[in-house]
Amino acid sequence: MKKVLAFAAAAFVALVCAAPASAQLRVDVTQGNIQPLPIAIPDFLGGPQGAQISGVVRADLERSGLFKPLDSKSFIEPIKDIAAAPNFANWRAINAQALVTGQAVAQPDGRLRVDFRLWDVLSGGSAMLEKQFSSAPDNWRQIAHMISDAIYQRVTGEQGYFNTRIVFISETGPALARKKRLALMDEDGANPQFLTNGSYLVLTPRFDPTSNLIAYMSYVSGKPRVYLFDWQMGRQELLGNFPNMTFSPRFSPDGNKMVMSLEQGGNSDIYVMDLRTRSSTRLTTDPAIDTSPSFSPDGRQIAFESDRGGSQQVYVMNADGSNQRRISFGGGKNGTPVWSPRGDLIAFTKQAGGRFDVGVMHADGSGERLITDGWEDEGPTWSPNGRVLMFTRTFQGGRGSQIWSVDITGRNERRVMTPGNASDPAWSRLLQ
Amino acid sequence: MSRNTVDTRSRLAPAQATVRDDYIIFAVIGALGLHAILIVAMLVTFASKLDIVDQTPMVPVDLVTIGPKTNVMAMAKPVKAPPKDVPSPPVKSAMQAPAPTPPSKAEPEPPKPTPPKPDETLKELLAPSPQAAKPKPPEKAKTLSQDQQMAALINKLAAPPAPPKNVKTGPRDIKGIGAQNAMEAELSAALASKIMQCWSPPVGAPKAEELVVEFDLFLNQDGSVARVPQLTADYKEAASRDPYTRAAADAAMRAIYDCAPYKLPADRYSSWKEINPFHFDPRAMMGQ
Repeated sequence: MKKVLAFAAAAFVALVCAAPASAQLRVDVTQGNIQPLPIAIPDFLGGPQGAQISGVVRADLERSGLFKPLDSKSFIEPIKDIAAAPNFANWRAINAQALVTGQAVAQPDGRLRVDFRLWDVLSGGSAMLEKQFSSAPDNWRQIAHMISDAIYQRVTGEQGYFNTRIVFISETGPALARKKRLALMDEDGANPQFLTNGSYLVLTPRFDPTSNLIAYMSYVSGKPRVYLFDWQMGRQELLGNFPNMTFSPRFSPDGNKMVMSLEQGGNSDIYVMDLRTRSSTRLTTDPAIDTSPSFSPDGRQIAFESDRGGSQQVYVMNADGSNQRRISFGGGKNGTPVWSPRGDLIAFTKQAGGRFDVGVMHADGSGERLITDGWEDEGPTWSPNGRVLMFTRTFQGGRGSQIWSVDITGRNERRVMTPGNASDPAWSRLLQ
Repeated sequence: MSRNTVDTRSRLAPAQATVRDDYIIFAVIGALGLHAILIVAMLVTFASKLDIVDQTPMVPVDLVTIGPKTNVMAMAKPVKAPPKDVPSPPVKSAMQAPAPTPPSKAEPEPPKPTPPKPDETLKELLAPSPQAAKPKPPEKAKTLSQDQQMAALINKLAAPPAPPKNVKTGPRDIKGIGAQNAMEAELSAALASKIMQCWSPPVGAPKAEELVVEFDLFLNQDGSVARVPQLTADYKEAASRDPYTRAAADAAMRAIYDCAPYKLPADRYSSWKEINPFHFDPRAMMGQ
């Protein structure tokens, strides 16, 4: 009996001691350290054009705030052949976590072909991404932006926004005789061009979903009206023959409709126009000022601003004008709502305490937070992936206005370079 | 100006010397007296203490480090979200409040009465982690680092709370796992504390709080990654169809490699050879 008991005790002790040895350890990580991804982007092979392309890619990714391109002076290994796998230890040694290699080659038909690969330095192995683009040599900047977009999408999981354009109002001259011209540029400020000559005032430009048409308000005929401008063909047409002022236009997501404000006898209401039939429907009938309409990305709702409750606030209604309800209750005056392409957030301008700031809130009005910190920040526009906002910033003291961008987290606020002062930006869709 | 100063010093010098001599004599006598009192006091005090020790039976006690280590597992969802704009204590959210666990009666007595020393390797691993330190008091919110400001901003993003779609949740009344002893909990906390310095999840993604991933990780004895970490089955499937989950998995994978090699006690290699699940959950960073 004693032997049995001794054996049982020994077995129990053995089991207790052995159990931890075979157990798997569980680790729960619930806090992180938000940092941009250190990425090495050596000059692409292929001479000066290769170096130019990689330079634009570096600038794009750095501007996003999510990547930290490493200084090329720290590189140990020269890239001589993009088909060969790099020696990852050489890139780990400089703390790179990702590596981009590429080359630009002029094809016999005169086109430019650019190949690139994205490598995960830490785990090594095969390339995370491998692509090639081919186009006319003059389009090398666009190819570079497309490479940036591909890298951004692979690393973050969301669509990029570098191969896009910005339409804005360029402002030149003294404050009392300021010349405002419709202008267009790449997302990084390159290739700026003026679309109007400044002989008449233009305001609130907006891209259509194809980014070929621009709707804007113009005083070209002496009366403020909404016009459609085909910027590639250079054609302009008046939108609707309304007796009074029309302003604040914005396209529906499918591009078939346009919402805008129409002023009559001091009262402005929101109308929607079918761009195919040019028939219009009144959506608001309130005696207050209703303006700045913006469709939700599914086209089923419209956010707008109204002072019907005594002060300017953000409202939402169904696309047919029904179920109008206020959603902003965060204090101050709130206006210029713009629905995110993702559909989850509405950007707006808050006026409180003598300041104007850009903020975001959920589509039901909850979770309001301000993401800019300036004296007068207003008029937000979304990047096509819903991750970044551009807005107009005016400094105290009359130094003119500038265009700035900010991540929706409130991080990475930086100026968008424009030729001279600029305001009222609108972001195009992602170009192909 | 400088000359006058020298003259004044020379006139006062003899008087100062006399006074200094008197002070020295008093000081020496005083010091000797105080030392004598001190020695007598120590002898008397220690003697009585030693008597007490002799009369008290010795009780063997296991000393364990109190702090972020516990065998209480984190619950699937924090019971209470931290107040907005105030950085939450990271380790506490990783491991829920350590309720004192009574020693199990079935557990055998420790074989040696001498208390084990705190593990220096683990202490070293825990030490450099700034996140493992005590949370800053709320009144210092203005001096938060950029990342803490980021976390505070992210907190404001908080969507209406909904359980993440790919998170395994357990019964709320389960507070711990019996098989996991305190030392394993200590290892787990040390690893979590280390890796949080390297983990940069995609917080700007839509519904970023739902981007939870889990790995099965094998480590070599030197703490390096033995083989490419594998997503556990559920998360592998999610990453294959959702680019955001794939990006989250990539970010976690980078953290695993970036923080390696892990300095862990070699004599307990069997305890940390395989980490499964290595669970990355950004909800606490999003105020969820």
